Amino acid sequence: MGQDVLLVAEHLSGALAPSTLELVAKARDLAIQSGGSAKAVLLGHGAQSLAETLATHGIEVLLVESPILEHYTADAYRAVLLRLLETAGPRVLLLAHTTQGYDLAPSLAGSADLPLVTNCIDVRLEGPGLVATRRLLNEKVQGDFELLSEKAYVVTLRPGSVRPAAPSAGGRVTPTPIALDSTPIRTRFLRLEQPQVQDIDIASADVIVSAGRGIQKKENLALIEQLAKRLGGVVGASRPLTDMEWLPKTRQVGQSGKTVRPKLYLACGISGAMQHVSGMKDSGLIVAVNTDPSAPILEVAHVGIVANVLELVPALLKELGAG
Amino acid sequence: MSLAIVVCLKQIPNPDLQFQIAPGGKDIKRDGLNYKINGADEYALEEAVRLKEKNGGRVVVLTAGPKRADQVLREALAKGADEAVRLAYDDPAGLDVGRVARILAAALRALPHDLVLTGVQSDDTSNSATGGLLAGLLGAAHASVATKIVTTGEGLEVTCELEGGLARTYAVRLPAVVTVQFGANTPRYAPLPAIMKAARQTIREITPASLGHASWDAIPTPYIFHVRGLSPPPAKSRAQMIPGRAAEQAKALAQLLREKGFVRG
Repeated sequence: MGQDVLLVAEHLSGALAPSTLELVAKARDLAIQSGGSAKAVLLGHGAQSLAETLATHGIEVLLVESPILEHYTADAYRAVLLRLLETAGPRVLLLAHTTQGYDLAPSLAGSADLPLVTNCIDVRLEGPGLVATRRLLNEKVQGDFELLSEKAYVVTLRPGSVRPAAPSAGGRVTPTPIALDSTPIRTRFLRLEQPQVQDIDIASADVIVSAGRGIQKKENLALIEQLAKRLGGVVGASRPLTDMEWLPKTRQVGQSGKTVRPKLYLACGISGAMQHVSGMKDSGLIVAVNTDPSAPILEVAHVGIVANVLELVPALLKELGAG
Repeated sequence: MSLAIVVCLKQIPNPDLQFQIAPGGKDIKRDGLNYKINGADEYALEEAVRLKEKNGGRVVVLTAGPKRADQVLREALAKGADEAVRLAYDDPAGLDVGRVARILAAALRALPHDLVLTGVQSDDTSNSATGGLLAGLLGAAHASVATKIVTTGEGLEVTCELEGGLARTYAVRLPAVVTVQFGANTPRYAPLPAIMKAARQTIREITPASLGHASWDAIPTPYIFHVRGLSPPPAKSRAQMIPGRAAEQAKALAQLLREKGFVRG
């Protein structure tokens, strides 16, 4: 095993995933600890310009190109990474904890019998070991976990955990040919689907009043709608509400829904699971109303109110002359 | 196409509860905790039962856990699973996901299957790793974060959720491991007679010895795992808290929203 840290760049429809630049920053930290270099690997077809964009962040980009890599498939990506693990022998293989990351990282670790730790909010090398900080039980418990292995560590980093790398000099693109013709693709890409939007775009609203499980009943959405109207905003929702079809999918804020940055985000009865918070944490003013004083939403809120939304919102409407 | 399906289920502490760290800091306090089936696994089970109802086949539910985990297996039997298997794994926390996956894989090698389904993530440890690890360990095809699974002549067509509301659809060969996303379907409620019947059904218990291992811990992993310590998350809250009763809080919030220019009229 060498000392380098190799990150896997993620891209879709010609754009790098924002999490990739976070990986660049973290890979640099880890490379300093290991005494090696941080490198990125970018897999694609006709992806030279994407690789060059990534290289402007001061990192060497190994560019692996093949028609088979035009669309992400776990089988083709795994075949490339297994080859790089043999030839480049990195100490750490770093991926983002995204839907692609948690498709690829565990299957790679399972098939090559490698140590794996996922969804880390922080990770560091200590001597021969790797220490990962993770969150458990709906963000209510934090833990440090130590893995010790002679093999390459496969790690996924939760998006939003570190600041993305800024542009800097010293990067370059290194074409890295890897033959993939004989790789069996058992999970074959058929199509990419975009949701048919026939609803307002919450991402363009200045004010979002979002509802979570704390509103208890679908009928109580009327309160949230009334408040949104009074504030000239729109109604958003956490995932459980759109899963129950109380609101259309287009209203869902979070990793699997919309990323929003309104001037005001009023979270009503939303506990603040990672998947929700990652979609709204950059809002201008975040106000959170929740009965649980330990709710993780309060970590990102600017103003917190421990109260039942079903009492608070009617009282607020009255104060605003809309009750 | 009728399939032999195995659904991996996990029993977890209800994550809506408050938790305290056990003395020594290696686990949470578990006395009097309320346990339930992991949320995403309910959707995996429902998907399996629907595939069986449509195409025929058989659904086996599998869990690794102590005796208390029989409860989630009985619920699954009541909802339409044909057989339940529990791997007698007594580590109450199960924090080493790589070990748990290797234990499940050892059992899966002995259980005939075309398709393994499990939830995309467990709400206690949030690894989103078990499904992918199983696929890698078993050498099976896989797809993650599925919102739709249909059978075709050659295998499956699986729609997988991506970030930002996008989805990718794949043709997946069998045998395969697929992780199922929250909201992929509407899980059914078990009818009372089925619950009564499930209460009497036999749950097959698999010990490490029956799979040729001296103990579960004798299954090799490529690393040594160690819980350094659990703690409450550092209080990072920068929120300015508005105290008082709802009426007072509402008044203060209304004033703040007016000051910031969010209220017109």
